[in-house]
Amino acid sequence: MSSPLFDEKTRRKLEQLTLMASRVRAGAIKGERRSTKRGVSIEFADYRDYAPGDDLRRVDWNVYARLDRPLTKLFEDEEDLAVHLILDASASMDYPPRDGEGADPAAHKFDYARRLIAGLGTVALTTNDRLTISAVGGGAAHFGPARGRPYGARMLQFLTGVRPGGQVDFNAALRNYALQARRPGLCLIVSDLFAPAGILDGLNALAGRGYEVGVIHLLSPEEIEPPLSGDLRLVDSETGEVQEVSLDGSMRELYMRRLEAWRDELRADCQKRGVAFIPVTTSAPWEKVILYDLRRLGLVK
Amino acid sequence: MQLLTPLGLLGALLAIPIILLYMLRLRRREVVIPSTLLWQQVVRDREANTPWQRLRRNLLLFLQLAILAALVLALARPFQIVPTVGAGRIAILLDASASMNATDSADGSRFDEARRIAHQIVDERAAGDVITLLRVGDAPEVLIPYSADSAQLHDAIDAALPGFGSADWNAALTLAAAGGGGAADLDVLILSDGGGVLRGDAAQSGGAALTLPAIPGDLRYIPVGRDDANLAITALAVAALPGEAPQLFAQFVNNGSADADVVIDLRVDDRLVAAFNATLLAGTPYTWTRENLPESFTTLRVGLTLPAGSGEVDHLAVDNAAWAVSSGQGARRALLMTDGNLFLEQGLRSLPGVSVSLGDPARGLPADAYDLYVFDNFVPEALPEGDLLFINPPASTALFAVGAVSTQTSGARVRRDDPRMTFVDFSGVNILQFRQVTADWAEPLITVTGGPLLLAGEVNERQVAILTFDLRDSDLPLQIQYPILLSALIEWFTPQRLVSAGESVRVQSPVTIIPGAAADRVQVIAPDGRTRDYTPTGMPLIYADTAAPGVYRVESFSGAAPDQTADFVVNLFAPEESAIAPAAAITVGNAEITQAVEVEVGQREYWDVLALAALLLLLIEWVAYHRRLRAPTLGATVMRRAARSA
Repeated sequence: MSSPLFDEKTRRKLEQLTLMASRVRAGAIKGERRSTKRGVSIEFADYRDYAPGDDLRRVDWNVYARLDRPLTKLFEDEEDLAVHLILDASASMDYPPRDGEGADPAAHKFDYARRLIAGLGTVALTTNDRLTISAVGGGAAHFGPARGRPYGARMLQFLTGVRPGGQVDFNAALRNYALQARRPGLCLIVSDLFAPAGILDGLNALAGRGYEVGVIHLLSPEEIEPPLSGDLRLVDSETGEVQEVSLDGSMRELYMRRLEAWRDELRADCQKRGVAFIPVTTSAPWEKVILYDLRRLGLVK
Repeated sequence: MQLLTPLGLLGALLAIPIILLYMLRLRRREVVIPSTLLWQQVVRDREANTPWQRLRRNLLLFLQLAILAALVLALARPFQIVPTVGAGRIAILLDASASMNATDSADGSRFDEARRIAHQIVDERAAGDVITLLRVGDAPEVLIPYSADSAQLHDAIDAALPGFGSADWNAALTLAAAGGGGAADLDVLILSDGGGVLRGDAAQSGGAALTLPAIPGDLRYIPVGRDDANLAITALAVAALPGEAPQLFAQFVNNGSADADVVIDLRVDDRLVAAFNATLLAGTPYTWTRENLPESFTTLRVGLTLPAGSGEVDHLAVDNAAWAVSSGQGARRALLMTDGNLFLEQGLRSLPGVSVSLGDPARGLPADAYDLYVFDNFVPEALPEGDLLFINPPASTALFAVGAVSTQTSGARVRRDDPRMTFVDFSGVNILQFRQVTADWAEPLITVTGGPLLLAGEVNERQVAILTFDLRDSDLPLQIQYPILLSALIEWFTPQRLVSAGESVRVQSPVTIIPGAAADRVQVIAPDGRTRDYTPTGMPLIYADTAAPGVYRVESFSGAAPDQTADFVVNLFAPEESAIAPAAAITVGNAEITQAVEVEVGQREYWDVLALAALLLLLIEWVAYHRRLRAPTLGATVMRRAARSA
């Protein structure tokens, strides 16, 4: 990837955002977000009746004088969020071919996915969240945990170095990830989900460990509406498997119907598990995914 | 239906590779895609793992198998046994005489009907039969020698055209017999209306009796034509008595079996001179004469037409018009200056090619120029330009000197070695006296003891002849030698006519064209406007392209403009061709041959139909391939109809 992942203007927009999780896990370090728990910050939250043993410094004496009833002030607690970004670095993400006829470099799936991960990572580092990036597949690599803006440059360097290739078994990869990760949190997976075994077992493992999961399903326009015709010998970029097809109008229509059904199945499976499913086409600007799609789902604020 | 070459059906085995080619997998283009996961699901029900694929409903396969079936069947040459008129070596004699132009046939003309029958014979011949085709016109010609190639035979039949002349059956039968080569299985098929010399009464009607050449095989007659209705002009002549205007004689014949009212018209130099109604009685000649025709006409045409709305028919049009040219056309103009000499006047007028005008010596020479001046007992003061013939000149001129009158007229000698005197014999001619004339440039052609009687020669670029005695002082005008001598002299004065033809030329007869010595080009313009150019070689030209009746014009050029022009006319004038009643039987030699019956066995083949079907299917297959057409399925059809009705 020769061009920078994103420009300064986009970065400034991203720095105003915060990744959100409906079930924030208690962080070990004070973060910049409010916790559901009451804590020791300076943000007032509520009153409750005094109970023996309460710190007398938190008794609101003004209210006691007015109401003749001791009430203890409660304050917001602030904590950090563990953000896990999982990048599909299998060979299927290296599409469409960069040297292909009429290929749009901006629509390349892996580049698109890296920009998306970089954007989300920037948001996480800006809000002092605990960021972990894991590339799965042939080009497996790991970044983090990292916290704070200074790690921004290193994160981008890491993403630039990741190369797609090989196969990926999402179920195994996610299961392992769930077992190895010390601190569950918000887990966002960016992938085309072209895995013969599927991803459901992996999602189950993550959910079982208390992760809040979102799947960004990435497909290029060429995969949605294939610009192919004639008698073809289709070769799988990951497995090398061959599928012969006589592609004409009716066959193309059949494929598109099958793709739509597959996405619907994935969406339904994710909804059943409380997993956010975000279908994305690489022809759409990647910032829009963060600034609009994730915000609409409440994963970004 | 049987097969001529059943082994050809083995070609059906070619269906196996065609089907195999459809079952074989295609050579596919390889494309790398991210994942075949979805494609596998899409084509799961269509894909098999064997190298063969299931045969699917495929319009192209169906069409290709149908093409193969048609070709294989054509190769096997299916045929049907049909009765036919000829077998073995077949010589088809197509009558191309004028009567075959009659339009009383359902196919158009009789010749078209004959061609159709010939096509049928070719189509229905058995395997191994060979056919030759002869066109029998004035000069029979072999259109195609013995051949088994149907295409060539059909082409030859189509290329044959009817003529406007007679048919020389004698030569045609000799030709057919010679081509047969003595084969025992020779069948000579005559496709004719039985007109001309084939008719049994040909010998009685003036035609030549047909002597049958030895033909080894059978002679069969296939008649064409149905009706006999034909009106014809059978004669037309224009002649003029000396000193009188030309008059016309024409003869018309109604060859049909019913009387007919007709309109006869006469056009002189394309100007309508006369038109009248006449009733032509069936089988009776009708003659018409017309006197006082204009003296100086070039061509005339007599036409015969049925009145508008007439219910009668006339099947043959070619004999409904006849043409004539003026006998004086192209004649030299001669001026006879005489006090009155009936012998000389009549003698000159009787000669063809000379137009004689009379002059009065008392009035002197007229201003008009003439080609030939004849001075009888007269000598002008100044000699005119042109050829000169002096008869008994009374005085000397610049050209000759006239001496004393001599009576020594015995011992006449004629120069036989001179071509002008070849047929002249003066031994029986008695002359009273003559003038002794001397001219050093002239040759004495006839001399007597006292001097020359006839001198002739060229002087000052003109021809001059001197007859030194008065015709009235001799018995020459009463003798046969008189027209011979006059004719020989005028022939010498008058150059040869451009066209050596009679009043009328029969169709297909040759005409001799004699261009002048100075001519560098001769052009013949046919009645239809076609022109043909010839370059004179010093020899007479034989022009034989006289197939169409009408007026032909011959122009001789020396430079850009024609310097000599002559017309000649070609007329049918063939009563045996105008009598178009089809004959049920023909007489050849002593044998009468009736209509042939289909006694031989022929084979009607159908390979051409099958080949045509294969070609059509090939065309459909090509369209189907390029349009990606698909064979409709029953299900799709039912669904479509259900949707329409809904």
